[in-house]
Amino acid sequence: MSEALNLSLQGQAAAIAGGDVDPAELLEAALERIAARNPALNAVVATFPERSREMLAAAPPGPLHGVPIVIKDEWPLPWRAQRFGAAEMLAPTAPGESGPYRALRDAGAVIVGVGNMHELGASSTGSISVYGPARNPWDPERCPGGSSSGPAAAVAARLVAGAVGADGIGSIRYPAAYCGLTGLKPTFGRAAMAGHHMADVSSTIVSGPLCTDAADCRLLGSVLYGEELRKGEPGPVRIGIIRGDVSEDVAPEVRAACEAAIEDLGRETGGEVREIELPELPAATLATVLIANSESLGDITPERLNHLDPELSPIGRGLLKYRVLLPAIATIKAQQVRTLARHTLARLFEDVDLIAWPTVPAVAPPLEAPLVELPSGTLTADEANVRGGALANLTGIPAISVPVGSSQGLPVALQLQAAWGRDELLLDAAEAIERANGRSWVDAVPPVRAETLEA
Amino acid sequence: MEASNTADDFIPAGLAAYGIEADEIELAVIRAAHQTFWPPILELLALDTSGVPAERNPDLSRPPRR
Repeated sequence: MSEALNLSLQGQAAAIAGGDVDPAELLEAALERIAARNPALNAVVATFPERSREMLAAAPPGPLHGVPIVIKDEWPLPWRAQRFGAAEMLAPTAPGESGPYRALRDAGAVIVGVGNMHELGASSTGSISVYGPARNPWDPERCPGGSSSGPAAAVAARLVAGAVGADGIGSIRYPAAYCGLTGLKPTFGRAAMAGHHMADVSSTIVSGPLCTDAADCRLLGSVLYGEELRKGEPGPVRIGIIRGDVSEDVAPEVRAACEAAIEDLGRETGGEVREIELPELPAATLATVLIANSESLGDITPERLNHLDPELSPIGRGLLKYRVLLPAIATIKAQQVRTLARHTLARLFEDVDLIAWPTVPAVAPPLEAPLVELPSGTLTADEANVRGGALANLTGIPAISVPVGSSQGLPVALQLQAAWGRDELLLDAAEAIERANGRSWVDAVPPVRAETLEA
Repeated sequence: MEASNTADDFIPAGLAAYGIEADEIELAVIRAAHQTFWPPILELLALDTSGVPAERNPDLSRPPRR
């Protein structure tokens, strides 16, 4: 049965629907594989076999009937409150039916485990968690990406074929890039969000799928959206590229792979590449960070900051305390930058269909020291990654990370962004890239799977 | 007076104003964050956005109203 776990998400769903795979056996195989592979990866931080079996027993017919799924530690389940990767959360939490849980349940899926994440969702690396960091299946000494670190590592190691993450500032796309997956950040408000502890205050966070390829993201995404993400032919795609740090202060091999993928996409669709300008981009990056940080301030009091759980990391404690020093005027300016960027994007999307740049400017850095070497010098991975990840969260547009190459034996990824509501175009374009490169990168197998493929 | 990103005064004074305590490790983290964020914050504050009304309750699922 373990070979069925190596099928795609679509393949597992089809095999179950066709009677070729027994979903009860598949669930047990998934639990066994998690037990076998997870100790080296720490991708899954909780399993609950009886709950999973109950979920399967009650599973209705649906597009994911009987298919095991991992869900990020950011979403409450009826039997488990989220911990947000942290020893302490400032927002109140409780077990409950989150939107993604309901969507999965109603689609017949079986939640088989909870995925690790970066503490408080506060980094693109996944290097800190109350559970200890998840590890990258391509190199366990490397960051898996964050904050949806565990969901990404779980899919890359094929503990499951699909996982649900959350993306507040790139938190689906960064780990997708580091782990060689396809990760979709939906248009704001399009995917299930109920039950998130910041659902009522956040203007940046969305749920979304992490899978090996675009077709699987389409399937899991349709479940999370509650509507079919129809497959289409993208037609001649007009691809916008932007000169500047986001595309040029990038490791040479990453830049070369992404430029080649952009050319591939243009050629595959009969489209073209155009240079465009987005002058608000540098300010938009900071604006996103300021807005996202200010939106969680409602749960903070000086008294609580003076009594933080000592198990919270020093970095987590320090950053929580720094948030109160951020000036209100900067947040107001950030909102104005959001307006400017949204208007500029609306104009740009009259001339182009997609905006493309590397998802992250360098491959996954070491867990011990999450620094990246760029043409401009050494930066923390977070400083470097946020340049490319923030815009979609600030403005609400959808974005997708697509694996397009390899450097130092680690995945390289291209990010595509589209106008509001054109999430389906992103999936169509990602599939066009897969066709153009013969699925070389979505089908690449990390060493942790190659070594234990028969496990 | 020129703006400064010197953290020596701002951080302890700011934390003290709120009555927030921080140990040496937390202070080191806060100083590092301040060094990262403060220069671009000053650049952001210097932007002339006087003619840009922020969208009121923007619908981020759609393009902005014209």
